[in-house]
Amino acid sequence: MGAVAEPAIKVEDLWWKYEGRKDWALKGVNLTIERGEFVGIVGPNESGKTTLVMAMNGLIPNNYRGVMKGRVVSVGMDTREHTTAEIARRVGFVFSDPESQFLTMTVEEELAFGLENMGLPVEEIRDRIRWAMEITRLDEEFLEKPPYELSGGQKQRVAIAAVLAMKPDVIILDEPTSMLDPIGKSEVFDVLVQLRRSYNATIIVVEHRLEDIAYLADKMILLYYGEVLRVAPPREFFDNIPFLLKHYVYPPEIMIAVHRLREEGLYDGPIPLRFEEGVKIIEEVLRA
Amino acid sequence: MTHAIEVRNLTFVYPDGTLALKGVDLVIDEGEFAAFIGQNGSGKTTLSKNIAGLLKPTEGEVLLFGRSTKEMRIRELATSVGYVFQNPDHQIFNMTVYDEIAFGPRNLLLSEDEVRERVEEAARIVGLKEEYMEESPFFLPKGLRQRVAIASILALRPKVIIVDEPTTGQDWKQSIEIMDFLKHLNGLGHTIIIVTHEMEIVARYAERTVVMAEGRKLLDGPTNKVFAEAETLRKAFVKPPQPTRAAHALSHYGLRPDVLSVDELVTEIIRLKASGAGDNYLAQRSLGGR
Ligand SMILES: Nc1ncnc2c1ncn2[C@@H]1O[C@H](COP(=O)(O)OP(=O)(O)OP(=O)(O)O)[C@@H](O)[C@H]1O
Ligand SMILES: Nc1ncnc2c1ncn2[C@@H]1O[C@H](COP(=O)(O)OP(=O)(O)OP(=O)(O)O)[C@@H](O)[C@H]1O
Ligand SMILES: [Mg+2]
Ligand SMILES: [Mg+2]
Repeated sequence: MGAVAEPAIKVEDLWWKYEGRKDWALKGVNLTIERGEFVGIVGPNESGKTTLVMAMNGLIPNNYRGVMKGRVVSVGMDTREHTTAEIARRVGFVFSDPESQFLTMTVEEELAFGLENMGLPVEEIRDRIRWAMEITRLDEEFLEKPPYELSGGQKQRVAIAAVLAMKPDVIILDEPTSMLDPIGKSEVFDVLVQLRRSYNATIIVVEHRLEDIAYLADKMILLYYGEVLRVAPPREFFDNIPFLLKHYVYPPEIMIAVHRLREEGLYDGPIPLRFEEGVKIIEEVLRA
Repeated sequence: MTHAIEVRNLTFVYPDGTLALKGVDLVIDEGEFAAFIGQNGSGKTTLSKNIAGLLKPTEGEVLLFGRSTKEMRIRELATSVGYVFQNPDHQIFNMTVYDEIAFGPRNLLLSEDEVRERVEEAARIVGLKEEYMEESPFFLPKGLRQRVAIASILALRPKVIIVDEPTTGQDWKQSIEIMDFLKHLNGLGHTIIIVTHEMEIVARYAERTVVMAEGRKLLDGPTNKVFAEAETLRKAFVKPPQPTRAAHALSHYGLRPDVLSVDELVTEIIRLKASGAGDNYLAQRSLGGR
């Protein structure tokens, strides 16, 4: 990577208070996310995760009322000097409630909407829709359906597909897999990794359940009631299990199990990021 | 004996022709704590809404305490079974928390005194403080909104409570609080059904698990037995919780394969270490192998 490459997202001493609220939702957040990085943002409910990612694509301050201090620069655009529409073209956003993202009457229109706004040719639009449905495992028969007549997880897949189809430089996903079945969750994360590989997409995911993200992320961020408490690569981030639990972050159970073995004095290596790695550690403990 | 819920050969077709349930049979007894799990679109929500009488069977029937939902009036239905929506925000529509919880009892045409009593009781059970009663439910944190949604169902005092994805979007602390509270209701005699994709939650709380796949029931039984069926579960896009998968992968060392929690897994490992079972395994292998 070139030394002068500009970061995907730069957040500088960001403060945000929603109108009508006493407390600041964000209290002096500083962050740099490089192009092509895969970043996980975690933290308890009400910590400001959604607020922070909305500030990254300009929804805050442009579409919300409140007080902002500090600066956010997304793919070179100061979010205060550009419209949300301009930023949205380069920074895609998957909402945690898929229904709040739906604008049209059929799944097909929903998937085509952003692509048409980009002015892509019809053929290209058709190809991208087909591709996006395939990678999110949406059945072709849904194309004609109104999105709100789908199951919860199917809606969430449409919301993800609509954003991925646009192949934005930065893809922000706010709890994108909360309603997906367990294998579907893993599949979505695999797709995100592929996108990064294919066009160096920057991926920012807010999640409560960390089984998949733990071994895919380059960097984990713990946001705790408006403050960034910790930024670290997963290997370090997950090494202190009690610290995470104390801040209401629940690591994957294989990590907790290995941590317990470490406490019992049966193991003294690192905490595993992958499930398979954890199984291997337990096997070694059993054989030792 | 009459069952709390008896689903007989239930088929359900949505108005647009989608065949969502294909002949489901299911019996749930009073006092059970069950989980519905399975692939997106497999019919969990449709089944739950049919049990709650919000949807009526296209074919077959649903009996609640022996009575068909097709014959039941709204009042009788509402006091037999309550359903908390997959996204509680789609259920909440009143301007204050009080009115939200009072909505059901008022529809039962209870007096305002009785309504107040019901609201206070429900709020107390879910742990909603008095100070929230005049607030708008829309501006409450996610965890509290979920509680308001549950309280508004509880205020009808239904015998069966179905909560569709109770912990979605909740952090672990909130998840445990909500689930402990459903367990508490179960202890008071309510039959509880949860619909969920979180297998750690199923492992911790549900005694019984029903797995749906493509509109049919694929598996049904005690949770530890169901989770032991890793191959069948894969067809329903479900992975058992990590401790179960780990125990399964290492069962040839003598780990019980029906482990559900971290605690059980660690206890098993320590037990095996103490009994030297790992060494036995190696000894056996070198005897039988090479
Ligand atoms: N539109 C809004 N108006 C006023 N306050 C808000 C609004 N949205 C969020 N807040 C408040 O800002 C704080 C941060 O909320 P935010 O939704 O960003 O947290 P979060 O980390 O995304 O939580 P969760 O895990 O529940 O999604 C909370 O105190 C919340 O109540
Ligand atoms: N209102 C509706 N009109 C038409 N079809 C619907 C409607 N709601 C759901 N369906 C379809 O019925 C099938 C079963 O949906 P259901 O919501 O019961 O699934 P689910 O198991 O709850 O899935 P999820 O885990 O995604 O919530 C799906 O194929 C879905 O697309
Ligand atoms: Mg959020
Ligand atoms: Mg559902």
